[in-house]
Amino acid sequence: MSMSSIDLSKPTRQSPRGLILIFLFSAQKFIRAFWPILLVLVFQNEIFRNNRTILIAVLIFLILLIIHSILFYLNFFFYLEGDEFILKKGYLRKQTLSIPFDRIQSVNTKQNLIQQLLNVVTLEIDTAGTAAKELKIHALDSSVSNEIQEQLQAVKKSDQTSQEPQTQQPKTEKEKLLLQLTPADLLKIGISQNHIRAGLIILAFGLQIFNQIQDVFEEKAEQYSSEFIEFISNSNSALLTFLVIFFLLVSILFSLFRTVFKYFNFKLLKKEKSYRIESGLFNKRNMIIPHQKVQQLNWETGPLKKIFGIYHLVFKQAVSGQNRQQQQQLVDAPGCLTQHLEKLKTDLFGEDRLSEVPRIYSDNFYFRRLWLLFGWIPVLLTTPFFYSEWIFWGGAAIWLLSSAGYSYLIIKKRYFRMNNQQIRISKGAISHKWEQMKLHKIQAVEFRQSIFQKRRSLASLDLMNASGTITIPYIDEKVAKKIYNYLLYHTEISKKSWM
Amino acid sequence: MENFSNSVLIPDNLPEIEPETFTGLNRKYLIVLFVRILIVFLFLAGGFAVFMILSEQNIPQSILFSIAAAILLIIIFVSVVTRLGFPRKGYLVREKDVSFQRGLITYKVTSVPLNRIQHVEVSQGVLAKMLGLSSVNIYTAGGTSSDLSIPGITENEAQKLKSFLSGKISEHE
Repeated sequence: MSMSSIDLSKPTRQSPRGLILIFLFSAQKFIRAFWPILLVLVFQNEIFRNNRTILIAVLIFLILLIIHSILFYLNFFFYLEGDEFILKKGYLRKQTLSIPFDRIQSVNTKQNLIQQLLNVVTLEIDTAGTAAKELKIHALDSSVSNEIQEQLQAVKKSDQTSQEPQTQQPKTEKEKLLLQLTPADLLKIGISQNHIRAGLIILAFGLQIFNQIQDVFEEKAEQYSSEFIEFISNSNSALLTFLVIFFLLVSILFSLFRTVFKYFNFKLLKKEKSYRIESGLFNKRNMIIPHQKVQQLNWETGPLKKIFGIYHLVFKQAVSGQNRQQQQQLVDAPGCLTQHLEKLKTDLFGEDRLSEVPRIYSDNFYFRRLWLLFGWIPVLLTTPFFYSEWIFWGGAAIWLLSSAGYSYLIIKKRYFRMNNQQIRISKGAISHKWEQMKLHKIQAVEFRQSIFQKRRSLASLDLMNASGTITIPYIDEKVAKKIYNYLLYHTEISKKSWM
Repeated sequence: MENFSNSVLIPDNLPEIEPETFTGLNRKYLIVLFVRILIVFLFLAGGFAVFMILSEQNIPQSILFSIAAAILLIIIFVSVVTRLGFPRKGYLVREKDVSFQRGLITYKVTSVPLNRIQHVEVSQGVLAKMLGLSSVNIYTAGGTSSDLSIPGITENEAQKLKSFLSGKISEHE
């Protein structure tokens, strides 16, 4: 404690610079909540025609907002007490939140552009379990937030090794840089993104804009769109090719920009028992990932990624009740080389014993099931409408062939390896994905068997952990039952904590 | 140095889960299930009726008949599956885990180890309350998919199950 002047056991306020941020946040909240009323007032009320009245109203509003911000700032405290993190806020309605350390899943920080200018950060503390609450502090000095991140970490570590005598370990353990992405890396990552997905996002966005434009030019829109359709149908194939290439280029550019914004100056740092990720251009994120909290590790590569020899890696952590519905922020590391991947796997799972174990593939019947789903059902459903046109039969044949190829790709990659401690599954069609977890992270197991599977003595398994589900489809029923029983046995005798 | 190998080593004779040992749900729960189907049927039929009234008789009768037939067929199919599948539904509490099984066309068993349960609650719908039935909902830290719900047991049974499971949670903490 002597090194830093920050004493977290005393109630601490946010950064004074944060006042500006609180002010902006409150203004934004207020305007978001009341803008329809404001509009009505400005446009309909006679009094507001008078410029001076507007000025006075705005002034009163600003003064009230400033008073609110100051009161909010003055009444916002946090501190550590015993084994709890405590937050007190509110001046009209006082509120106290306390979070026990052992409930904390992650302590991350974010920084948007304004926060970067003010040199303050948002600290997010996420808890596990169902009585979940998420705690956010929006205007922290980065030194204070670092201290909090450190301390919550340190407490957890001493928690784990409570049997051993508490040695006064040096507080600032050296961090080692594992991976840093250069602009050239970002270029590779951007190019090897899934452009189909990016394309769909742009398309959805474009359609939305198109809709809005249509609303504005209601009467003319019909005319324009029919002209557009005519133009498209009259234009030759060269123009269409041009459009496709143009669309592809836009998608790639979009992917590139997204990659640069998200992973700018990406750093993956390592301590003995945790990782830290730093990245982002306008929205900076800083995340600490204790090894203990990683429920599952996912990594994937695709055709383009393979050429560059890179993997995209995701640390799957427990999702708290509130975040379950929302899309959780991915804690990921793109652009890992094989050596990084191996290093991370060794850190999290120990020496790789799984590659000594044979692969168990899904049964070939899974292929038939997939082909039926992707190939035959769409064709059979559309047949009654188009059977009279010869071009349909050509298209159907191509569709059936390509869906067979797709299903074949899926089944070739669908296997798993398991020993008595861990499981790793492989899946994917065009890209290749892997998921690995330690067996004691299991929360629940499900055995599934349809009547079609039963006839062939096959079954599927779902292994659920706190971050999601790992599925093993269409394996031998006996093997599935054995694994099911073993997983329950293993989890029930396990003394290791899942978080 | 010996050659170390570590293949899938699963101890033999681990306790198995036998579908026959599960406790079935209370038969009154069938009423709840059928009332649910009835409500869906009323919605579909109502929607169909509104559609018929609003559309101005341009639709050929054959199409109307096939829609009506499809609705009827689906409802009958669902009812039969529900009735035949009911004996499949059941739960099993063992020393160290709790399981629920269901499904006629796709049979499913889900098991939650007791040392992974986060909390347990008893809930009751309006109809279930009239019939004296309750559900026990078991929550784990996993996503919603790993939460286990045992519906259609008597209030008494549900309370007993809840207090047993709650006791186990405090044991593990």
